[in-house]
Amino acid sequence: MITKKALPRRAFLRGVGTAAIGLPFLEAMAPAMTPAAKAPVRMAFFYVPNGMMMDSWNPTYEGKLTEMPRTLKPLDPFKEDILHIGNLTHNTGRALLDGAGDHGRCSGSYLTGIQVKKSLTEIKNGVSFDQVVANKIGKETRFPSLELGMEDARQAGDCDSGYACAYTNNLAWRSESQPLPPVLDPRALFERMFGSGQPMTPEEKARQAKYRRSILDFVSDDTRKLQSTLGPTDKRKLEEYLSSIREVERQIERAEKDNAQIDPKMDKPYGVPADFAEHFKLMSNMMAIAFQADQTRIITFLMTREGSSRPYRELGIPDGHHPLTHHRNQADLMEKVRLINTYHVQQFASFVEKMKTTQEGDGSLLDNCMLIYGAGLSDPNAHLHEDLPTILVGKGGNYFKTGRRVMARRETPMCNLFLTMMDRMGAPVDDFGDANGRLAGMDLPGLDLA
Amino acid sequence: MQFGRGKPAAGAFFDSDFQSVDSLLAVALLHGLQGKSECRVAIVTVSRNNLKVAGYVDMVERFYRGPAAVFAQVPPPGMITTGDGGVVSPGLTEPFAKKKADGSPLYANRVARVLDTGDPSTLIRNYLQAQYEKSSYFVLAGRATNLAVALDFKGVKDLVKERSSHLVIAGVESFLADPWAARKVLAEWPTPVTFVPDEVGKAIPFPASAIEKEFPANTPDHPVAAAYAAWQQMPYGASTTALAAALYATRQKEPYFKAETGTVTVGADGRLGFVASASGKHTQLSVDPALKDKVLAAYVELASAKVVLPQRFRPNAADAAKPPADPVKLPPKP
Repeated sequence: MITKKALPRRAFLRGVGTAAIGLPFLEAMAPAMTPAAKAPVRMAFFYVPNGMMMDSWNPTYEGKLTEMPRTLKPLDPFKEDILHIGNLTHNTGRALLDGAGDHGRCSGSYLTGIQVKKSLTEIKNGVSFDQVVANKIGKETRFPSLELGMEDARQAGDCDSGYACAYTNNLAWRSESQPLPPVLDPRALFERMFGSGQPMTPEEKARQAKYRRSILDFVSDDTRKLQSTLGPTDKRKLEEYLSSIREVERQIERAEKDNAQIDPKMDKPYGVPADFAEHFKLMSNMMAIAFQADQTRIITFLMTREGSSRPYRELGIPDGHHPLTHHRNQADLMEKVRLINTYHVQQFASFVEKMKTTQEGDGSLLDNCMLIYGAGLSDPNAHLHEDLPTILVGKGGNYFKTGRRVMARRETPMCNLFLTMMDRMGAPVDDFGDANGRLAGMDLPGLDLA
Repeated sequence: MQFGRGKPAAGAFFDSDFQSVDSLLAVALLHGLQGKSECRVAIVTVSRNNLKVAGYVDMVERFYRGPAAVFAQVPPPGMITTGDGGVVSPGLTEPFAKKKADGSPLYANRVARVLDTGDPSTLIRNYLQAQYEKSSYFVLAGRATNLAVALDFKGVKDLVKERSSHLVIAGVESFLADPWAARKVLAEWPTPVTFVPDEVGKAIPFPASAIEKEFPANTPDHPVAAAYAAWQQMPYGASTTALAAALYATRQKEPYFKAETGTVTVGADGRLGFVASASGKHTQLSVDPALKDKVLAAYVELASAKVVLPQRFRPNAADAAKPPADPVKLPPKP
């Protein structure tokens, strides 16, 4: 319950039994914070499958980002917040001695830097870097991390040439053998984020459904009490924040209503919107709220699973994504892949916009984030694991000198970037995966990284 | 990379400062052996902080691996970025001045800055991971810095022990250029180590006639022949220590040299000492006068061999007919 003016950072609006809504950073929290305390740094990974058409991803220049490459055009308004990094490599994604299965390996090792075991039953990977960080700082937030995704995918069976689906369908790994499957259903995520953590009784669920009450209704008493103690700026901020939660709630209700009217055999959970962009918007809006309210500082997001053959009929592309990427240099197929790549970036750009327009302290929420958008393969036609498409969006707490295209030395391990990010998250480790050092220089205005 | 079942030829790792022309000949010799399926050149790394050297090495690798359309990716040249780059022989730069009939450069230099190279120790680690058990070897012709740094990477000492069979070191003077690295490699390298003293190279000089006859007869516009011709006033006979190391490393069972076991140490004065003993963990080679002609013939034949572009590895028919050793178990059907 809110009882004093100097709000703790982790204050909640609590409701009767079932609701607990974290708060965004408010000025009223400042007196409770030490002078040295700053807004926390958050990180998220947006993984897209099947590599990238690199001719439309890499700028033809280095230094200040000016003309954005075609695939990244949707991010043009935010180019000052982007670090476009070249030459990062995941050697552990390569065949080494394991033959075919680049898709299984590249996603399995993406956040672990470990050569995964080629097997359908003996799953063996490593602890992913997000979970290493979550183990260190996760106790400071309601959720140590959130694992989210968009494509319904099985967890068992063969998903690529003898690699278990666990490798292609998960990014986060709690242990060598335990992946953390992504949450796909917006309703499930909403209830996880704004529920009290106590399971609702069937009667409570039925009552909530019957009267379609908003989660905000359950915390209205607490909200009123808090509002009476806030200044005008905080009041406005709180109203905007609660409105965004209500908007998400409405979107979920709309999706559930729509889904009830379409093919009941559709291969999606009940609350998942049929429309890709709508689904992304819902999930990413909740991600923004989770970061804003400091519910978690770590999110992994699997746009679609690695090797996905999802068609993109909304773009007029009935072909599967994965088969298209084996384009054998046929111009029409390559063009379709570019369209899909750009479509994914377009969705991501809407999230970046949300983060950029959400105020936090003297700057934006984006300033305190490190959002990695990338893939585990570069050229998908050749299954290459070097020069992986990677952008870092956000300043990570005003650390990164963004707005430029920078190059690492060829074959620089991707894990070097992870080590640097761990430092920014306040969870430094000496070594991770196949790193050979930290990716130094991202805080300096030069063009090259060490 | 390997495909299918069965083992390909052993992977050859070559690390050199390229201070002398015999390192270039040794690279050519290893590629000649690769053409006969006796080895695969895994990676060539440079232990000198000099982009011109890395550029030349990269060009030679591209020359041997063929155009991009052919199966084989060209790894980036690994180059150390510390220490003095030293003086570069015209042999490493003049080939780039050569032109085709249409006026375009005969050899393209794709290394303009450090970013075009890779960290040599990382590359050694990465390419070692792609080798079968005891199916690779190292040839070192220069300071031991890259190997010593690689040994400090997590898990690399075990990887060397598991995946490679031996290390052959060419020459004493250049090996000792980094005493810390020399001591570390001698103390910690986990496979048998063989030394090829400089005297072995001086005793069997490379014939200039091979540069003028065999090289152009087998492969026109050979970049190693061009470098040799520009290295110093022709005709001259270059020392062949690195060639001896590469030949011995690949054809260990062939009696080209005399071999003696003992222990090599780096003294406090930075000089190398060898004490012969049956229980020693090192081997030292010397020239067998009766075999000089045979050795020289092998040098010329292999270094000047017609270029054979790498082929995708296929198991032999007998291996392919065998069932896989570890059959993949499918999950039970629901």
